[in-house]
Amino acid sequence: MGNISTNDIQSLIQLFEKSDWREMHLILGETDLFLSKDRNAQTQISLTTASPSVPAPSHRASVPATPVETPDPKPHGSKIPAGWTLVKAPSLGTFYRAPKPGAPMFTEIGAQVAADSELCLIEVMKLFTTLRAGTHGTIREIYAKDGELVEFDQPLFLIEPDA
Amino acid sequence: MPDTAPPNGRLFVANRGEIALRAIRAAQALGMEAVLGVSVADRDGLGARTANRCVVLGPAQARDSYLNAGLIVHAAVSTGCTALHPGYGFLSERAELAELCAQEGITFVGPTPESIRQVGDKISARAMARAANVPMTSGTDAVEDVAHALKLAEEIGYPVITKASAGGGGRGMVVARNAEELAGAFDQAVTTAREAFGDGTLFIERYVEVARHIEVQVIGDGRGGVVHFGERDCSIQRRYQKMIEEAPAAILSPAVRARLHEAAVRLLASINYRNAGTVEFLYDTTTEEFFFMEVNARIQVEHPVSEAITGADLVQAQLRLATGAVKGFAQKDVHTAGHAIEARIIAEDPDRDFIPCPGRITRWDPPSGEGIRVDTAVESGTMIPPYYDSMIAKLIVHGNTRAEAIDRLAAALDDFTVEGIATNIPLLKVIVAHEDFRSNTINTRWLETVLLPAFRAEQGR
Repeated sequence: MGNISTNDIQSLIQLFEKSDWREMHLILGETDLFLSKDRNAQTQISLTTASPSVPAPSHRASVPATPVETPDPKPHGSKIPAGWTLVKAPSLGTFYRAPKPGAPMFTEIGAQVAADSELCLIEVMKLFTTLRAGTHGTIREIYAKDGELVEFDQPLFLIEPDA
Repeated sequence: MPDTAPPNGRLFVANRGEIALRAIRAAQALGMEAVLGVSVADRDGLGARTANRCVVLGPAQARDSYLNAGLIVHAAVSTGCTALHPGYGFLSERAELAELCAQEGITFVGPTPESIRQVGDKISARAMARAANVPMTSGTDAVEDVAHALKLAEEIGYPVITKASAGGGGRGMVVARNAEELAGAFDQAVTTAREAFGDGTLFIERYVEVARHIEVQVIGDGRGGVVHFGERDCSIQRRYQKMIEEAPAAILSPAVRARLHEAAVRLLASINYRNAGTVEFLYDTTTEEFFFMEVNARIQVEHPVSEAITGADLVQAQLRLATGAVKGFAQKDVHTAGHAIEARIIAEDPDRDFIPCPGRITRWDPPSGEGIRVDTAVESGTMIPPYYDSMIAKLIVHGNTRAEAIDRLAAALDDFTVEGIATNIPLLKVIVAHEDFRSNTINTRWLETVLLPAFRAEQGR
């Protein structure tokens, strides 16, 4: 069996998180999974975990984006270059690129961002959560449209790190 | 903006597993579209593939997905849904979900928030039953402390049982045969209830020693019209969790059965109950008396046995009523035929004290044939996640008589192949083959006090 499902990976990540291991490298058929608790781990594919849950709704909660580099580049089937950061939705909600209608967008393709730069708002029943970049770099892709429903774990932004 | 729902509407299904799949198919059969909200753990499941659309609500943990009412209603609104089915468990009996739906103009497929609150609080439910003149065990209102409990228990007479006002499932329930036992257990029961339900309020009832759990399936039209779909006997239980359910309750005489149905209908008619619900009773085999226990304001796991004997599709009936396709149902149109039994297939190992056994199902080969129905969302290759209830399927059989149904169930269990994880199927086979089950002389404590000790002895421990 060479197939490994999202569920399997998720279970592995959970086991890994609970363990005191620092790294785990699993090659199974076509799948090559590398887990590390060290952000600077050197490898061709790295997958950092810790999916953030949206903090209990205070009026404008703020979550650091999870830097998730993934071997499964769902959006548009394009390959994610090694070291780039895919910022995913921390929860289902409505995606807003500006703080309010008519206001300038938080960011654009080609814009420079810092770790604390605001990227978008995710709204759930009138509660807004600010999503931040969590890393330094340049926005290379914005996958979701303003005002659209995004799902948990859906890729929203692709960031190329500063050289 | 969400696209427009089709003329018959679009249903948001706020649940998982077999009941989510059941609601999706019921909606589609009625010309509705179905949108399923899932956690990450269920994004590749059969429900996700069967729904017209599936949205990922949140991570595997139910707290941030299936138990987050705001997230669910936001998803329902954003996907253009017109109605929401809560299934059972999760948020199905939380008034908050029904209220949020109402606020957002989504039809909640279930009772009003007021009814959910009224029947959800056991003490107010008892008051409601008293007002409707439905028999109850002698019992109390909220008990203040140990001293108060002892005084009330003296009046009622031992044995007594403590119960949590805010919830069921056995938590906060302690049987006391005398004052010493009650004094010793009371504070712990308060703590357990508070931890489980956030409310430690207890009340006390007289404890019926040899009882059966018998419940009546009803549907109300919200205007005082209530129709019943017969009763079920759910006495095969472990730790207050049902394992086998039957319809009808063969133990009842026709006269008692008629009085039981009438009491359930009267009770829910008294609050203008809307949509599907179940009235649970304790039945004292020796005196042939029945006593009101509680109302479950939702469709129940075991509803298929009532469907099997009435020919009704209760989930479709819920949807038709909620969406206004029908105004109500008529008792004269409900007839029962034959006998049905449901066995819950759970991913727990009876050889290892029912330890949950999540994992990958490598082979799933359920039985099929005349009088056999299997409700499940499992297939070969399905991963049973560790985060949720361990029930993975329901096996329902129907026969002309109880004996025929039992024979069918035994044969169907022999034909049921599950590989990759442990299940309770070996235990179900032993129950179904047991003389007490065949002769219908069981009670709610039989599984734990008679069968399981024998089962363990046979397994050599």
